[in-house]
Amino acid sequence: MVRGVLAGVRLQLILYRQYPDSFIPLMTAPLYTIIFVMIVRHGGRADLSGYAVVAPAFISLWWFALFHGGLVVNSDRWSQTLELHVAAPTSFPAVIFGRILTVTLVGQLSFVEVWLVGKYLLRTPIAIQHPGVLTATLLATAFAMAATALFMACLFVLVRNAFTMTNSISYPFYVLGGILVPVALLPGFVQPVSRLVFLSWSADLLRASLSAAPVADVGFRLAMIVLLGAAGFAVAADLMRRVVQRVRNTGELGLR
Amino acid sequence: MRHPARTLRIMRYAFLSGAQDYASIYTWKSWLGGWFVRVLSQVVFFALIGKLLRSDQQTWYLLVGNAVMLAAMEGIWALNLVNWERDSGTLQLLAASPSNPVVVFAARGSYLIADGLASSLGALLVVGLLFRLPLPWPRVLLVIPLTLLVGASGYCFGTFLAGILIRARNLNGIVSNVGIITFMTLCGVNVPLAAYPAPVAFVAKFVPLTHGLVAIRDVLAGNLGPVAGQAGLEAAVGLAWLGLCLVTFGRFVRHGRRDGSLEFAN
Repeated sequence: MVRGVLAGVRLQLILYRQYPDSFIPLMTAPLYTIIFVMIVRHGGRADLSGYAVVAPAFISLWWFALFHGGLVVNSDRWSQTLELHVAAPTSFPAVIFGRILTVTLVGQLSFVEVWLVGKYLLRTPIAIQHPGVLTATLLATAFAMAATALFMACLFVLVRNAFTMTNSISYPFYVLGGILVPVALLPGFVQPVSRLVFLSWSADLLRASLSAAPVADVGFRLAMIVLLGAAGFAVAADLMRRVVQRVRNTGELGLR
Repeated sequence: MRHPARTLRIMRYAFLSGAQDYASIYTWKSWLGGWFVRVLSQVVFFALIGKLLRSDQQTWYLLVGNAVMLAAMEGIWALNLVNWERDSGTLQLLAASPSNPVVVFAARGSYLIADGLASSLGALLVVGLLFRLPLPWPRVLLVIPLTLLVGASGYCFGTFLAGILIRARNLNGIVSNVGIITFMTLCGVNVPLAAYPAPVAFVAKFVPLTHGLVAIRDVLAGNLGPVAGQAGLEAAVGLAWLGLCLVTFGRFVRHGRRDGSLEFAN
């Protein structure tokens, strides 16, 4: 099992090294940071710079989950190695888990990157007021994001045209997830839907960790991120079981 | 261009084949339920920042900028043309054919201009109504040709980039994604050009979108005097990139034919 996970990690790292465009989100994150910081400064609200710095990190993280996570199984299908992979003695889900783990960890680099860009390039005063809350939020977010990436990996295989869909599910989730504008500012009827998107809890909590005011209900808010992540994992695990079953029973997935 | 009738026929078939490709990706239902929802969300996302800043003026500024940006964005996607042909296995056949490759490429992706126009105007109308953007009738109609101009200008730039990317396959994704966000940063989409450092504002004047967007903002503000001048500058920028494309594109293709790198360039 552990060897499978490590093999997955190794494979994903090799793929990252081979394809420089894998790091597109890390290239666009500084530009998004500049855009958002310029908007709030031009609007006379430099005090919202923290918001402007947090949002690009979530955009990058979402990209990693959507595109890289989504391609984890599909790339095997395209290179006609899916069946061989499933038939190998090493657990297929273990290798996939290793790859997803790598995608999530590399995606987390975007938080470090935008913080550096904000602080040193744009001279934005961002102080981490609650480092404990920040750390716990990043860990919970990584868990939920890994679930999203695994879900996407299976969905891409099972649903035709899923790759086209990825173009369409970025900005709707940025709005619903309140990654820049808090959910409280969205129309009332949208807010309950937003609360089902883990990004909304993560973004709120991350912004709160940068604010001097005490952070209320930390435990509950963290639990919501983990709970939504766990729900995502449960669905993703079921989809993964279906993928493996279809590869073994019908052998059709590699042919579609 | 020695045989205009033949060139037009090639352009017609290239356009039809490109439109067929697009129709195989989206039906009108998946366009409305998938792509158009994303487009609306993109403009809403930026307009909401204005709400966060508690300013209607900022909201409308961001709304208009990001709606018009869509037309330029889809136009610039023309840079993907070479890679799409390569993936379909048709790049070498096109390069080997007696027709001018730039004519084929320029026509084949031109559905992007139409799609960008529909996305942009649709977003401006729908999100504009949601955020109570004043759309003064009848001068708002001028926004239609100006948005078309922005899309066409972006398309010329994208086709020029497609030529460069013939020799740099691995950079396609990077140029496409980073390029679009750079446009979003540079061209006065989110803050006025006056807010940029002078050298950045100077560079912005030579890329598509900048002047067309100023013209559209002027139309909506009722300041019609400078509109024609800004539209002329946008057209000049687009034509300049098209001219550069005509000069360089064939050269890049010939180079690829000579050393056999068309299919394997990286």
